[in-house]
Amino acid sequence: MGRVAKIARRTFLVGAVAIAGGVAFGYYMYRRPARNPLLDNLAEDEVALTEYVRIDGDGITLITPRTDLGQGAYSIQAALIAEELDVELDQVKVDPGPPSPAYYNTALSEEGAPFRSTDEGFMAESVRGVMDALMKFMGMQVTGGSTSVPDGYQKLRVAGAVARETLKQAASQKSGVPVEQLKTARGAVQLPDGSELTYVELAPIAAGIDPVTRVALREPAEWRLIGKPMQRLDILAKSTGTTDYGIDFQIDGMVHATVKINPHQGSELNGFDASAAESMRGVKGIYPIKGGVGVVADNTWRAMQAANAITFDWAPAKYPEQMDGHWEALANSFNEEQIESRDRDDGDVEIGVAEGNLIEAEYRVPYVAHAPLEPITAIVKLEDDRADVWTATQMPRFVQNNVAKMTGLETENVHVHVLMAGGSFGHRLEDEVVKQAVEIAGNMKGTPVKLTYSREEDMIHDFPRQIAMGRGRGRARDGKVDTFDLGIAMPSVISSQMGRQDFSLPGPDSQIVAGAWEQPFAIPNYRVTGYRAPELAPVSSWRSVGASSNAFFHDCFLDELIHAAGADPLEERIRLCWHDNSRKVLEAVGEMSDWGSDLGENRGRGVAFCMSFGVSTAEVVEVTNTEDGIKIDKVYVAAEVGRVVDPINFDNLVKGGVVWGLGHAMNCEITYSEGKAEQTNFHDFEGMRLYQCPEIEVRGLENGDKIRGIGEPPVPPAAPALANAIFATTGQRIREMPFNKHIDFV
Amino acid sequence: MRLNVNGNTHEVDVEEDMPLLWVLRDELGITGPKYGCGIAQCGACTVHVDGMAVRSCQLAVGDVDGEITTIEGLGTPDALHAVQAAWVEHQVAQCGYCQSGQIMAAAAFLDLNDDPSDEEIDRAMSANLCRCGTYPRIREAVKTAAANLRSA
Amino acid sequence: MKTKIFGLIVLLAATATAIAANETSEVTMPAEGSVSVEEGLEAWSRVYEVASHPRCSNCHTGESGIPMWSGPSYGKTRPHGMNISAGESRIGAEFVTCGTCHIKTDRGNTVPHAAPMVNMDWQLAPAEADWFGKSSREICEQLRDPERNGGRTWQELAEHLDHDLILHWAWNPGGGREPAPYSLLEHIDDVLAWGVAGMPCPQG
Repeated sequence: MGRVAKIARRTFLVGAVAIAGGVAFGYYMYRRPARNPLLDNLAEDEVALTEYVRIDGDGITLITPRTDLGQGAYSIQAALIAEELDVELDQVKVDPGPPSPAYYNTALSEEGAPFRSTDEGFMAESVRGVMDALMKFMGMQVTGGSTSVPDGYQKLRVAGAVARETLKQAASQKSGVPVEQLKTARGAVQLPDGSELTYVELAPIAAGIDPVTRVALREPAEWRLIGKPMQRLDILAKSTGTTDYGIDFQIDGMVHATVKINPHQGSELNGFDASAAESMRGVKGIYPIKGGVGVVADNTWRAMQAANAITFDWAPAKYPEQMDGHWEALANSFNEEQIESRDRDDGDVEIGVAEGNLIEAEYRVPYVAHAPLEPITAIVKLEDDRADVWTATQMPRFVQNNVAKMTGLETENVHVHVLMAGGSFGHRLEDEVVKQAVEIAGNMKGTPVKLTYSREEDMIHDFPRQIAMGRGRGRARDGKVDTFDLGIAMPSVISSQMGRQDFSLPGPDSQIVAGAWEQPFAIPNYRVTGYRAPELAPVSSWRSVGASSNAFFHDCFLDELIHAAGADPLEERIRLCWHDNSRKVLEAVGEMSDWGSDLGENRGRGVAFCMSFGVSTAEVVEVTNTEDGIKIDKVYVAAEVGRVVDPINFDNLVKGGVVWGLGHAMNCEITYSEGKAEQTNFHDFEGMRLYQCPEIEVRGLENGDKIRGIGEPPVPPAAPALANAIFATTGQRIREMPFNKHIDFV
Repeated sequence: MRLNVNGNTHEVDVEEDMPLLWVLRDELGITGPKYGCGIAQCGACTVHVDGMAVRSCQLAVGDVDGEITTIEGLGTPDALHAVQAAWVEHQVAQCGYCQSGQIMAAAAFLDLNDDPSDEEIDRAMSANLCRCGTYPRIREAVKTAAANLRSA
Repeated sequence: MKTKIFGLIVLLAATATAIAANETSEVTMPAEGSVSVEEGLEAWSRVYEVASHPRCSNCHTGESGIPMWSGPSYGKTRPHGMNISAGESRIGAEFVTCGTCHIKTDRGNTVPHAAPMVNMDWQLAPAEADWFGKSSREICEQLRDPERNGGRTWQELAEHLDHDLILHWAWNPGGGREPAPYSLLEHIDDVLAWGVAGMPCPQG
């Protein structure tokens, strides 16, 4: 072991970067110990300056523990560290790092706690603190909930500053120049005489001294990177086909596997006949696994061909075989016993609705697959004393624990290597593919097994977005919305998802009403009730989770009441909105779209608003009713995120979120027949294609105190804004997704 | 059987009906062309055969009749093709998984028409699926690439 | 000469793996005057069943250049996804060539929902042969009008059925698709019978 590494192991550690106080003075204090996971795998001559900065003879590596699913997380995390460390992005490498409690996600819990994002009161903060401790305890190194930026915004900058200040101490020690006279830029400490000491040469010295634990973060005016357009670190590789995604990764001696799993999600395999498949070219083995069969061959296609030649006897589905049964279960859930939450209950809706002119409507949202373009994959290599997993996952700690549990190995001997993901949208919050690869690899210790799902297997085992039903009752009076009572029934996504990880979160599932109950509107009689439907088909978090269905219910029903009031859709939303920063978002989108101007014949516009993940987002959709159907012409989006870290990435993610929200609302659903998903590939699960994509204009507002993530918030308002635009143009209210069941699109 | 990929000749011993995609990926280790659907719905596997765009998941290797170019052969990080340069300039990619196919589709299209109208771009580029929704940037990048190809 | 030899691809009942094999069949030309107008109209009605079947009419879409999709997995008949247009070239050369996905091969079609393939360049029928959504009378009048049928006699129309491999595909589409009704041979017999009867078209 090199001297540097030894020194580093002994002394140079900055622990789990927990902010302990001193914020009021602009300083951040760091608790030291905890465990820096980088030390476990330091190579010769490597130094770990905090768990986010590793330096060796070749240069500087920034650790970016939130998985890059396409949202640019690696680049954004690197920029936050680099801002304070004083390195340029073209000087560093990034590495997602190992699974470790040091990388827990503190922002994720915020959305799980039952307080509105607008409620910054003491109680809300303290409960978030409790959830935070829980998350830390569980070591949830999870990418999700639009939290990578909020979670990393302070701690990554602090990690950069700690490393910088420590390197300056090292430079002072080496040069004899007092720290106060030292400056830093481009990966080097600058001495007053104009000479430089590079971080690389200083790292061995830094490893031998106590790290600086009290640092100040720079003022926004001093920022070089944050808030300015950046070039994504992965853009060149992704434009030249040279990115190694999970599906591309290759290891010497690797074999290729695929699976056939019971299409009745979660049910068992009764039996199978593989006689036709066994003799097919390249087939190396066919193994029963939980709920199905794994086929190993010398080539992915041969494995898939052989898998298709197997006949199966599947156990029946544990959920209703046909959709009627699913909808009936939801319809039957609107009762007192199944009330999950009623955290919004202003005024008295019962009095409001009793006075006549009642408006009632029922809305439906189907199951929808995530279907990232890269099917799920995992490479697993098992040996007697260690396991290695290479996979694109949003939750490496879960993967590590699950593999340890399955193999009997200690977690520290399970090495999870996180790879680039070809999209996720929540799909890679499941790790069935890893568990299956472990089962298969158990038959061939020492051989790396790459398991690749076929598109069809992936689609029918997607763990789709929840099915949901909304029932609204309400009333307008004197030209205003007066009473709004919304009930939402859905199965618990969190319970389904966490159930597969063998644990449960305490309290009601906030996602059942997310995107509805916490909306900042002051309606005199205003109630939102969540009803927990029984478990149906297994479901999972889908980009924006509960809000993906609930914003459709909430905002479309609000639109119906505003119409009944005879009020202007935008004006009335603004009038009702009590939250300044949300109102500004509505006003911004009104200005951007020149709301109220004449769009001409057969054209119309609709607006929708949703606050989700702490981000107030308003969207205006303009459509034309053509002979061939509805054409979506233009979308305007305004979103309040506190701080836009990279305007290019922001713009791209918002547009992507709009396309996601609109495309699935237009034409996507997963339906079950005989317990099996009927949609198997992109021919019947299309989403939006380029020619249907509207022009999209984006504005990020920075009025809020808290920085927020933008991966999910543009999704919820897209569908209701489209439905409201279709109503404004055609007079037809669409209350069910996908909309193409009711109207044609160009 | 013999294949010419990106100017190199490869000898492969595979079934005639194996899709070219899997020969490239699993036999030759050329992973730029992606598997997304296997049924010509997504376009992530698009390569060129003698300059024409082809879905390599649909083309049986035994039916290959011509020289194959994959995204790796179109241009490299050090020597970008005009389409790739435009993709970098506009920072099109999010997850990037579809972009090999998008770029190959755009390059073949612009080879036949380097001054496309908006409507023609919408016709040519709608057979490639992008789940991240990078379509607005794809449109802009195709226009930039076309302009650069015209002035080249 | 009363008998004509057609080099036909004999179409096997569509099992999942069946690939058409080349074989030669004899088709007997009906004698002049052997088919009444009434029988000719009956023959035509079967021809129309074929011509208006999705496997045929979906690619006879006229100047729009936009092929149609239909079948169990598409719900109602709709324009080809992906904003596809075959353009004036009828092979999509202006945008995306049909051959990008519809590969030229004689390996047959087995994979459900994949792009159909035959051993010729995939293309739309000429714009004049615009059948999609047309009535029996409209298509019939088109087919007997040399201006709109490629300048063919009825014998040449029947002969043409032999050459076009995409057309043969209609009876053996594979991948779980519903084939066109009757068979290619029966269809040729019907075209010939209709021709001998004087190409009568239904009124109204």
